[in-house]
Amino acid sequence: MKSKNIGTYIIAIILSIVFIYPLYVLVLITFEPTYLTFDRLYPYQIPVVFTLSNLEVSFKNLSLVYPVIRSTEVAFIVAFLALMLSIPAGYGLEKLTARLSNRIIILMFIVNMMPALVIAIPISVYFIKLGLENTVIGIALAQELVVLPISVFIMLGGFRSLPSDIENQALVDGATLKSAFIRILLPLIRVPALVTFLIAWMTSWDEFTYAVIISPVKPTFPVDLYDYVSRGEPFVASSFALIVTIPVIIVTVVLQKYLKGEYLSGGLGGV
Amino acid sequence: MRIKRYKYLLFVLPALVYVLVFSFFPAASVVYLSFKSNSVFTLSNYYGIVKSDLAGAIADTLIVSIGALFIQLFFAILIANILIKSLKGNKVFSTIFIIPYGISTVVAAFVFSLILSPLGGFANSTLVSFGFKPVDWYSTYYSELGVVMFSDFWKNTPLVALILYGGLSGIPPSISEAASVDGAGPFRRFIYITLPNLAPYIAIALLIRGVSEFNIFALPLVLIGYYPPLMNTLVYEFFTTPATTPYAYAAATILLIIILVFAFIIIKLGGASRYEK
Repeated sequence: MKSKNIGTYIIAIILSIVFIYPLYVLVLITFEPTYLTFDRLYPYQIPVVFTLSNLEVSFKNLSLVYPVIRSTEVAFIVAFLALMLSIPAGYGLEKLTARLSNRIIILMFIVNMMPALVIAIPISVYFIKLGLENTVIGIALAQELVVLPISVFIMLGGFRSLPSDIENQALVDGATLKSAFIRILLPLIRVPALVTFLIAWMTSWDEFTYAVIISPVKPTFPVDLYDYVSRGEPFVASSFALIVTIPVIIVTVVLQKYLKGEYLSGGLGGV
Repeated sequence: MRIKRYKYLLFVLPALVYVLVFSFFPAASVVYLSFKSNSVFTLSNYYGIVKSDLAGAIADTLIVSIGALFIQLFFAILIANILIKSLKGNKVFSTIFIIPYGISTVVAAFVFSLILSPLGGFANSTLVSFGFKPVDWYSTYYSELGVVMFSDFWKNTPLVALILYGGLSGIPPSISEAASVDGAGPFRRFIYITLPNLAPYIAIALLIRGVSEFNIFALPLVLIGYYPPLMNTLVYEFFTTPATTPYAYAAATILLIIILVFAFIIIKLGGASRYEK
């Protein structure tokens, strides 16, 4: 029994190194002077000098700061809109007849798989006419498509796990449907609502396809980073790559127990 | 009762209208526009994309999708099986294994472009310091696809592992214990108990992942640019090159059809059933 565990440990440790190494590289290029990393053919792998100057330069470069602010704004709009649309939708789907709700669910399921690029191209044409291209709202409205189906599924699961008696009791006690919904049901679904919010937020933070098509001139951070890489000057944006990554890693680790595979697998239209 | 129930449709309506307006309507207009060139109905856009090696792009996208999926599946099974054991330090391992999920795709692609840089780079730095010769990871057509597959493996394996872990947790340990008492070793237990119990669960999850893989875009764009072209990078290149913009609609239509066929298969196999009543 003991020896078997040693084998498992060795595999687990090797895999851990593989999964941590890219993050380690990100930390290295952020805190090491560029003459040890970018400027060398074979970069140093062991930290020998510690510097904050890369970060300082990045924070002074407003063309780098704006995309991060933009990404944050977009992510919050996407997450709030996801809640506003998916909470009532989840509730309604739970109450509708099976026939109707299953059809709507399959529709959402198809939307979930639609290639983002195929949708983004015509949307960008409409958004130019509506004045929504290169705006935060425009990106958020488009990205909402990526998160909406999965948000609805998560909320539907949340409402399904509630006993239906609770709402009926409130109605018997004289509450209107609206007040029963707001006072009784909403507090009970705060966990799925929180999961919906965070998954929507993180998906938007990561989203590239809609962002690059809808808003190439005023980019979100992923698009900005791509621009720098394609121009051959990745070092400019590299320390920001770590800054924008750390909060998301923390959220991911804290939320581990809520991050079920099925939620995440549904939420990724394009990688 | 029937009529009373329809009022709940009002709750669903905003989300439903949203996806119809923002998803189905644009998709339909892509198909429509794909047949237009200089405001005449024609198939010229389709001739154009066939000439620019659409078939090659489809084949390469399939290679990357299937390859990445198999690598992910292999390592995800490994990880899920490690995490399901109650080892000491499992909390640490599960935290480490989930990290790639928290790193955004473009950041991951950017880091891998530094690690696997064709000249120098972090991976070669490691090789050289151990006395090996440096490798040009981009030297051949297929090794470039390999670079994409490897980065994709890193980014998405945690996701597949989470899915499989969910499936593994659903298998009662008593079955495995009984087999163990009857003298089945860990390998036989895996083949005869774990896999059959997990199979239907994995199949759907993998098909859905496969659709995401086929839609791969940001990773190849950052890592290999437009060459070798994959489905999405090809559509994007057509779209951003003014002379070939109409081709983008035709290529996008083909992409849409391929995905919808997959979606149809997944739904027929019961992919949406866990959400249905």
